[in-house]
Amino acid sequence: MTPQDIEALVDDRPADGMFRVHRSAVREKAIFDLEMEHIFESSWVFLGLDCQLPEKHTYFSTYIGRQPVVVSRTADDKIVCFVNSCTHRGAVVCHRDSGKARHHACQYHGWVFDSAGRCVDIKGQKEGAYTDAFLREDHDLRKVRVGNYRGFLFGSLKEDVPPIEEHLGDIKTFLDLMFDQSPDGLEIVPGPVRFTYKGNWKLQIENGTDPYHFTSTHTSYIQILTKRTKSNSAALTSSIYQKFDENSILRGAFTFPNGHAALWGETPSSESRPIALNFDAVAKRVGGPRARWMLHTRNVSVFPNVQFAENAALQMRIIRPIDVDRTEMVTYCLAPRGESREARVARIRQYEDFFNPSGFATPDDTTAYEDCQDGNRNDALEWHQGYMRGMAAVRPGADEFARELGITPLTSIYGPFSLGDETVFHQTYRYWRDKIASGMRAKRCQRELEGV
Amino acid sequence: MADDAAVKSASELLYREALYLDTHAWKDWLDLFQEDAVFWVPTWKDDGEPTSDPQAELSLIYCSSRDQLKERIDRVASGRSIASLPPMRTAHTVSNVLVEEAEAQALRVKSVATTHVYNIKKREQNVFFSLQEHLLRPGQDGRLAIASKKLLLLNDYIPRMIDFYTI
Ligand code: FES
Ligand SMILES: [Fe+2]
Repeated sequence: MTPQDIEALVDDRPADGMFRVHRSAVREKAIFDLEMEHIFESSWVFLGLDCQLPEKHTYFSTYIGRQPVVVSRTADDKIVCFVNSCTHRGAVVCHRDSGKARHHACQYHGWVFDSAGRCVDIKGQKEGAYTDAFLREDHDLRKVRVGNYRGFLFGSLKEDVPPIEEHLGDIKTFLDLMFDQSPDGLEIVPGPVRFTYKGNWKLQIENGTDPYHFTSTHTSYIQILTKRTKSNSAALTSSIYQKFDENSILRGAFTFPNGHAALWGETPSSESRPIALNFDAVAKRVGGPRARWMLHTRNVSVFPNVQFAENAALQMRIIRPIDVDRTEMVTYCLAPRGESREARVARIRQYEDFFNPSGFATPDDTTAYEDCQDGNRNDALEWHQGYMRGMAAVRPGADEFARELGITPLTSIYGPFSLGDETVFHQTYRYWRDKIASGMRAKRCQRELEGV
Repeated sequence: MADDAAVKSASELLYREALYLDTHAWKDWLDLFQEDAVFWVPTWKDDGEPTSDPQAELSLIYCSSRDQLKERIDRVASGRSIASLPPMRTAHTVSNVLVEEAEAQALRVKSVATTHVYNIKKREQNVFFSLQEHLLRPGQDGRLAIASKKLLLLNDYIPRMIDFYTI
């Protein structure tokens, strides 16, 4: 596969009113391997939140692309990340999802590493008849570069990447809109939920900012809400989607460099939002416009592997591609620290109601991804036609809503909910295409240089 | 330990519950629950413990009324949820039933549930297994009914989806 082959997968001709993505992008193993190499393993990838490391020597384990890594708080209170694979012969060193440990001992031959990933003991080193060449080697677990934006932790296997603030750009504002809901920031409601689906990881990336599917994929959920509104029973969970009407609600989207995107919408029943209970205090602290943005629904995609959906409740989902047709989702319920018990209980019920592989909405999304993967097994049709809604309405730069937030996106669009914009995906696929193609070219240059 | 009659009626209720789920006899299943029954499926925390406080921690499913369970049934029965279109075929096996007397005529029943799930659309099968704890209490008509059911799903790395009737 050549860089040109990758570039040919995105039919990007805005002047002709055309934007298409080739169906092989979700199906070909060779493309998946290139994505891992040139996107996941060559740039910033989301790791988790700093609240997952509450004290010295606490850690959690996760992945950067195909590579297991550990994120750890060291004895001197620094957050570090290292590859979770023993220097000796590669065994995974840390086997728990999270915990607290001064030392991580490899279970195979017993090498020991401290909470900064430094090798502190090689079993039987004296007796081992090692050569000087071995002793000169670095035995520490390989360090991974860490970027920390307000407790949102990112890691990069490649050292040579721009600072995290620069990589995030204006999508930072959407992280702020979550973080600033409490003066003390965010926390995770205990209880992560993991599930898998038999489909490509980009199906989740797309769905996370796809306004078009809601009224067809989630009809069973909408039906439940209609009944709830009629019955008015206190025994049922209140939902922000009650009073949903696709023609009266405003919805918009922004795209940003590096593949990031955000979808926003007016909340049909904003009084059901947990922060509505505390709205005046929030507005006083962050200002009226920002506080109103906190009431909006916001679906934020930080490319390539994390999404924050603040619609029914606030979900953080970490996307881990396992194979071209298999993806793991690690999902968390997030909440502003210190919210009232009443708000917290409402939040948890709303979360379980909508999200979770056992909720009223997520299982239908997940099933749809699998249906897409199944339908894409062949090239009988080459191109998807799923990226062209909104093309006649999208505009470059900021609209008045972006200006209200003080951000300068690459594109802005808004309209009624029923617009169901799809231009929100364009920058993501452009970045995806360019990142892989430029990575392939750089690698070829490197090889040629080494060849001479 | 409860007496033989209590053991018999408690076990029978659990088997009946399994049968109603497997035959999609949703209304009969719902009728086994009291009006304010709790149906609770905790999640597992990273420290290896299940969540224990549904008001402060996340659950996979937490319903505290029959009305909420009815919403779940309506969604599956509506034919509009593609995750259950068509509904899965299931075989719930309930075993290791242990019955203890609890307060005020109630029975605490522990059991193991193994549920085989066949996804017709995907032509694929999965197994879910759990530890269950039912609290049974006589309803107004004197018949034993479910006051609460806690289902601790042991294999919670979930392929695609689960619902009240697939676990
Ligand atoms: S692989 Fe870790 S000590 Fe040998
Ligand atoms: Fe959805």
